[in-house]
Amino acid sequence: MRNRLKVLRAERGWSQQDLAERLEVSRQSVNAIETGRYDPSLPLAFRIADLFGMAIEDIFQRGE
Amino acid sequence: MDAETVSRRPVWLWGAAFFVGMFGTGFAARWLDLPSVPSMLVMIPPMLLLIPFVRATERAQAACGAFSPATRRYNRRGMAWSFAYVLLLGVAVIGAKSLHAQGPLLWLLAVLPALPILYLIWAMARYLVEEQDEYLRMKVVNAALSATGLLLAVATVWGFLETFALVPHVPGWAAVPVWAIGLALGTFVNRWVEK
Repeated sequence: MRNRLKVLRAERGWSQQDLAERLEVSRQSVNAIETGRYDPSLPLAFRIADLFGMAIEDIFQRGE
Repeated sequence: MDAETVSRRPVWLWGAAFFVGMFGTGFAARWLDLPSVPSMLVMIPPMLLLIPFVRATERAQAACGAFSPATRRYNRRGMAWSFAYVLLLGVAVIGAKSLHAQGPLLWLLAVLPALPILYLIWAMARYLVEEQDEYLRMKVVNAALSATGLLLAVATVWGFLETFALVPHVPGWAAVPVWAIGLALGTFVNRWVEK
């Protein structure tokens, strides 16, 4: 799965640590999701989508 | 050299000091043929090295963004069981000899060192329940599966070698250190995959 997390985070001027604190997860989790090493669960994907005020499919897309 | 590498260095140093200290005093006690009580006593100072080892581990986990409240609780519980294990093992060994224990008392003393190990198994289960960070939890589950696979493989091969009288008998409690080695290897594999 591909995602736009890094771009969305950069647009807001947030570091990985900032995003991790907002999502209440570890910085490693944010890094793993951004780099595509880990696909988040549906509840976490919804939390990410809610944080950015977007739909899940606008952040996560099919593909490698 | 990056900050993460620097922050991990004390972990290696404290870890090496702890293991060298524990095994060193153990072998020295056996080599000097020390009685049970002094053998147990000389292992207390290196055992205390576990405290800075765990603290350095926590600092390294925080530095690489992999620290959580559940991890902290697990580390503290792990330290508690380690001290309790040494204490209860000492009580069991010394008690069985000095009291010439038999019957129910011997059963009680024999099961004492197993109690902290049962606590460790409970602590691991609690960690998986309490960990709110799904990625960190997944990594521990993966490492635990690797550890279980290693344990099954080692136990199977050793069991057959033992059946054919090629190797000596190993007590069942050896499963715990083998599993712990597997967990450490699994953690290293996780780290390597991340890079």
